[in-house]
Amino acid sequence: MQTVIDAHNVSKVYNPKTIPVYAVNNVHLHLQRGEFTALVGPSGSGKTTLLNLIGGLDKPDNGSIIINGVDITGLSANELIDFRLRNIGFVFQSFNLIPVLTAKENVEFIMQLQKTRRQERENRIKSLFRQIELEDKINVRPSQLSGGQQQRVAVARALASRPQFVLADEPTANLDSKSAANLLDIMTKLNKEENITFLFSTHDQRVIERARRVITLVDGQIANDTARVSTLHEVAGQAG
Amino acid sequence: MILQMAWRNIWRNKMRSLVIALSVAIGLFAGLAVLALHKGMLKSRVRTVIDAEVSHIQLHHPLFKKDYEPQFTLTGNEQWLNDIRSSALVKAVTARSVTQAMLATTAGSAGVQVNGIIPGTENEVSRLDKKMKEGTGLNPQKKNEIVVSRKLADKMKLKTGSKLVLTFTDTAANIVSAAFRVTGIYQTENTPLDERNVYVKINDLDELLGIGNAFHEIAVLLKNDDDLLTVQKELQQKYPGVLVESWKEISPETELMVNTMDYYMYIIIGIIMLALAFGIINTMLMAILERTREIGMMVALGMNRVKLFLLVFLETIFLTMIGTPFGLLTTWLATEYFYKRGIDTSSFAGKTMSSFGFSSMIYPEFPAEELVTVMLIVILTAVFSCIFPAIKSGRLQPVEALRK
Ligand SMILES: Nc1ncnc2c1ncn2[C@@H]1O[C@H](COP(=O)(O)OP(=O)(O)O)[C@@H](O)[C@H]1O
Ligand SMILES: [Mg+2]
Repeated sequence: MQTVIDAHNVSKVYNPKTIPVYAVNNVHLHLQRGEFTALVGPSGSGKTTLLNLIGGLDKPDNGSIIINGVDITGLSANELIDFRLRNIGFVFQSFNLIPVLTAKENVEFIMQLQKTRRQERENRIKSLFRQIELEDKINVRPSQLSGGQQQRVAVARALASRPQFVLADEPTANLDSKSAANLLDIMTKLNKEENITFLFSTHDQRVIERARRVITLVDGQIANDTARVSTLHEVAGQAG
Repeated sequence: MILQMAWRNIWRNKMRSLVIALSVAIGLFAGLAVLALHKGMLKSRVRTVIDAEVSHIQLHHPLFKKDYEPQFTLTGNEQWLNDIRSSALVKAVTARSVTQAMLATTAGSAGVQVNGIIPGTENEVSRLDKKMKEGTGLNPQKKNEIVVSRKLADKMKLKTGSKLVLTFTDTAANIVSAAFRVTGIYQTENTPLDERNVYVKINDLDELLGIGNAFHEIAVLLKNDDDLLTVQKELQQKYPGVLVESWKEISPETELMVNTMDYYMYIIIGIIMLALAFGIINTMLMAILERTREIGMMVALGMNRVKLFLLVFLETIFLTMIGTPFGLLTTWLATEYFYKRGIDTSSFAGKTMSSFGFSSMIYPEFPAEELVTVMLIVILTAVFSCIFPAIKSGRLQPVEALRK
């Protein structure tokens, strides 16, 4: 098994001088390739903050975050941008897509930033849209897609760059239950068939049930880290 | 893809984009209009200097213009005039005797320059006949007639038929006085020059000065402005002992005016561009602020600062490019219209223009030669103005932007 995320002793404090908020407090987290992990916890427990730290969007006040062998806490802002582009896929809660670009262009945009060749881009786009089951909406602007369809395009975009893993911060929060289930189906399928590593936060019980490992945050600390025995034999996850 | 994004982004807020494109158009229009007016004014000023005041080239005795002493006549005679006139590049030639005199009437006295002229050829060179407002002008058959300007006539309470006395020194340094009768009143747009110049027949003046048939000045009008240097050189070679000057040397104040006007013009254009820059900065900042989340998301996904800068930059450039043809078109239409009709500044500026020797009618001319410069200035302003918003967008922290 290959470790893709190795976070040690990570802390993030807001307002350290006035009323300190330990948004993430001394967290250890290891993720292997191919895991399908949910980060759960009440609102304000530090899920977003932790995902931002792992995704290189924010810097911890303490600890190290090693991704694919690189300690990202030591990278400069510009290096981080490039690192994110090459290694991490993001799905945000809402307004994920660039409104002036079509679904296809949104996906292609990332590959252009990576300087992927045209032929490869076309092939990848074709297969990604087949996987998210939106081949008929490929040339449509985000405003003409439903919320669920937009999130599926966002998943396709996150995968376009062939990242080490995909971080998704409450990807189903703005979706109705049917769309949410559909999105989870696609994520699960990608995880099983393509061995894509997912780390997603949620507080939706039906989504939690689909995860094979559930990490519970309370007040910025990991309160529980459970591997669920899924229908498959694989068991992923260890105590952080 | 960034190109497409930039292009589509400018259509997201059509009203705002229209405002920027319009400000670019107005900036361009204003810049070009200033140039057009400036060009029209200077051109007409130069035309006046050449066609009505100085002509292209003048010949004098090298010492004459120092003190206008009457003995420094040109050594040549009628033959010189014919020789010069025979050149293919020359349109008209005339000779003048010139002296400084005191003009006195019952109402007072004034210092004037008396120009002794040959009425026929003088009209060909300086169009004196066209400037006449009253009276019949100088009659070759009659003695001691004088033409004065409207300005001087008003000041000295002169009418056609009035008598006045001119006093000056002759070649022997004797003081000579003679009575003249006003037979014409003329007026040009250059009032300071008008006030100083009176015209009499060359024979009358020569006789009083005691210089026989000689003259002090030859004025040469060319067919084409571009031949100025050629003819000047030719004449200088032909008449080595004579001072041969072009209008630029004779009327350095015109040259000076051209230069000072240039300064003012650049200051005005600078102010217009400053206003344009603030407009662009403000609008682009607004556009970025509105898209904080989106920009934050793009940075989160891995779009670097250089590309982000490029995006904002391209949006500004596109807006400028949309505004440019509008600005050019309106300027072109406006100059075409006013070039034919002219703008009468006397209706709002009174006599300001003519007291500086400018025509109060301005015929603006489309500044085709300066077009590239002005467009460059506008585009540079736009580019310069988007730098600040672009940097600002590059500073966005994705985490904070995404929380919005
Ligand atoms: N920029 C910030 N400044 C101050 N406090 C913050 C900031 N961002 C988050 N917090 C605080 O950190 C804690 C964790 O927030 P967050 O990571 O958003 O939790 P979750 O995503 O689980 O709801 C909360 O108490 C929140 O108020
Ligand atoms: Mg959150």
